[in-house]
Amino acid sequence: MKIHGRFMIGLVGVAAVVSYLVWTGVSETMVYYLTPAELMAKVSEDPTFKDVGVKVSGRVVQGTYSRVEGKLIHRFEVQDLMDETQTFWVEFRDALPDTFTDESEVVLEGRLGADGVFQATTLLTKCGSRYEAAPEDLVG
Amino acid sequence: MIVLGEFSLWIALPVAIWGTAMGFLGGRSQRGDLVLSAERSIYAVTVLLTLASAGVVAAFLGDRFEYWYVASYSNRELETFYKLSGLWAGQRGSLLFWALLVGFFASITVFQNRRRNREFMPYVVGVLQGILTFFLIVLLFAKVNPFERLAFLPANGQGLNPQLQNYWMTIHPPTLYLGFTAFTVPFAFAIAALLNGRLDSRWITLTRRWTLLSWFFLSVGIIFGMRWSYEELGWGGYWFWDPVENASLLPWLTATAFLHSVMIQENRGMLKVWNMSLVVLTFLLTIFATFLTRSGLLDSVHSFAQELTIAYIFFAFMGSILAGSAVLILYRLPSLQSENRIESFLSRESAFLFNNLILLGAAFAVLWGTVFPLVAEGVTGQKITVGPPFFQKVNFPIGLALLALAGIGPVIAWRRATRRNLRRNFAAPVIFGAVVAAVLAAMGARHPLALTTWGVGAFVLFIIVTEFWKGTKARARIEGEGILLALYHLVIRNRRRWGGYIVHVGIVMIFMGFAGAAYNVDVRKHMQPGDTVEVASPFGHSYTLTYEGLSVSVGRGQRNLQWQAIALVSVARNGKQIGSLTSEKRQYVTSEQLMTEVGIRPTPLEDLYIILSAVDDLDAAVNNDPKAQGVDLQVLVKPLVNWIWYGGLILAVGSLIGLWPSTERRRVEDQAPSEEPAVAGAV
Repeated sequence: MKIHGRFMIGLVGVAAVVSYLVWTGVSETMVYYLTPAELMAKVSEDPTFKDVGVKVSGRVVQGTYSRVEGKLIHRFEVQDLMDETQTFWVEFRDALPDTFTDESEVVLEGRLGADGVFQATTLLTKCGSRYEAAPEDLVG
Repeated sequence: MIVLGEFSLWIALPVAIWGTAMGFLGGRSQRGDLVLSAERSIYAVTVLLTLASAGVVAAFLGDRFEYWYVASYSNRELETFYKLSGLWAGQRGSLLFWALLVGFFASITVFQNRRRNREFMPYVVGVLQGILTFFLIVLLFAKVNPFERLAFLPANGQGLNPQLQNYWMTIHPPTLYLGFTAFTVPFAFAIAALLNGRLDSRWITLTRRWTLLSWFFLSVGIIFGMRWSYEELGWGGYWFWDPVENASLLPWLTATAFLHSVMIQENRGMLKVWNMSLVVLTFLLTIFATFLTRSGLLDSVHSFAQELTIAYIFFAFMGSILAGSAVLILYRLPSLQSENRIESFLSRESAFLFNNLILLGAAFAVLWGTVFPLVAEGVTGQKITVGPPFFQKVNFPIGLALLALAGIGPVIAWRRATRRNLRRNFAAPVIFGAVVAAVLAAMGARHPLALTTWGVGAFVLFIIVTEFWKGTKARARIEGEGILLALYHLVIRNRRRWGGYIVHVGIVMIFMGFAGAAYNVDVRKHMQPGDTVEVASPFGHSYTLTYEGLSVSVGRGQRNLQWQAIALVSVARNGKQIGSLTSEKRQYVTSEQLMTEVGIRPTPLEDLYIILSAVDDLDAAVNNDPKAQGVDLQVLVKPLVNWIWYGGLILAVGSLIGLWPSTERRRVEDQAPSEEPAVAGAV
């Protein structure tokens, strides 16, 4: 199949533009997705890492949740799923999703501030049972 | 009934294997008896799958909680309507439902072609039975049998997640599944063409309507999902670039590309390899979507259970389809040569090609963003993700280019557009689009991307309206008909073309609605009864919302409902009372988690949308403590959001016009390719 020369340029052009968009899109919007333990390790390795926006998944430590009276400011502690000694405090200034409880598994986006409190800008709850009960739940 | 259903599943597998073998053998050996047996096996498997599905439904209706699937998705209190939809509420039922739909479409195909297109049918049947065999193997051996029994009998089931107890959610999954499964028919014909060597555009003509049917269901299904998200999920948006949403968008993008590129093959005999590849790719993506929706492979708000067995089986299946199709295409490469070549950069062929490339580019970008976390983790060991900002950044420019092509494609000349053709067709629309953008800018709309979208949208609308006007006028003059009758005949005589243009109008509306999001207003406030909040609409007026208080009702309404805490908000527009809105927190009997119901006041130009974000002391409020009235309220103004739903409706009407069986099949088929794209024909 012989294609017009100018046409070939057009094809390559489209491919190049799409690749460029994807490339810059990824490099400008990507975030590290870490566990609390990994985040702590990174920060102790390189203190400037505190200013990097990251995504962290962990579990809310039961009983640590509190809310500033009359304001949408929530504080709670999050622990690593594997290593419960790895924890940090989180401050979240927005409405919590309905699925949030004080033992939820959560995915947070934000950055660890200089004071060691994680300022979360988004909070998603993650649970395998969102739409389906785990079979073992049925036994209880 | 239930036992019969389970039993049917086991019988269906050997029948499907038999049908697959007979289809391919019959095709190779040209033995009619084998082919007939294969065709009958399709009916048999469909009947068996129907029995199995009826078995699952019966288990739901009979509250048979000894079945794991029923116990996980239903309870005694669930309304019958939702028990019926239990068939597709979870992974296990969905897979059965998928197979049932394939069987159903396969039976229609076999019946329609019982006397026609016999050279395709053996392989078509073989491929369809092969796909059914795969799904039966998954159902029976991948630990997802919907008839699996528990070791004990629970007193009641877990109940259906309250968020799924919504009418949109009842129709959204089956609509998408209809779209996914209808595409197996074009795929089967494509493979049959590769096998029997009939590689002209016959297989495309035969499956045109199936492709459009699939596309129609996919589009409508995606829009239903957006609507559900908007109404039920309580965050004020309709698209989150969630992996599962992306998974349904991917086959839509490639199917849209295919719908356009087949027109080049029909008219100019080009792009044969490309079309084959697009069919295979789209089919693979429908399988990918089916699998992704109901597995927990990628972190997603839609994720279900984490089951790796099924992941391996699906990847093996997709891998073998890909390899098999690639081998066949390579083997037939000499017969897939183009009959023509593109003559000019400025031609309809070229516009279609660019449309295809851009759609595929979009699909690639979406796919890449979706699987990026997995790839990044595999390569660097670091888990890295991209979120909605990535998809928006990449897809805005791509979407705008596509939108422009939706106007350029219909009027640019085939083969070679002359300067005169370009000037005549594009001067007025370009000026119109620019004027619209300028007027909007003068009225205060300054957001560059939104302005560009509205300008380009106006350009496309102008072109399409002009096309309708020219066609109608010419017909009225030649045939001496009135304008309305002429318009009716114009559309009826070439449904695919004019239906397609109507779809383009729907797409323009949807894009304009998306662009409205640039002017979303979002206000949050902590309120006590009597407090007010002022919200300015981008259209210049303002809303004053007064929080009137919280009322709690316990144990009323739906059977599954424990209590509702309803916040009443009265709304004034420019100081004049116009009504009230409510938003509530709900607790269902069967679910630990709370639910938020939002309040929406829709108007053609904008929605006023309120969310009861939080109640200060929910326990006290539920116990009717009069002092526990403090709430957090989120108020959104969503300009043009309804244009998305209107556009969806127009799109649906347009594709139905394209789908409607033509009464003038023969006359139309005899026409030589003209300056217009080819016309609706027989399936």
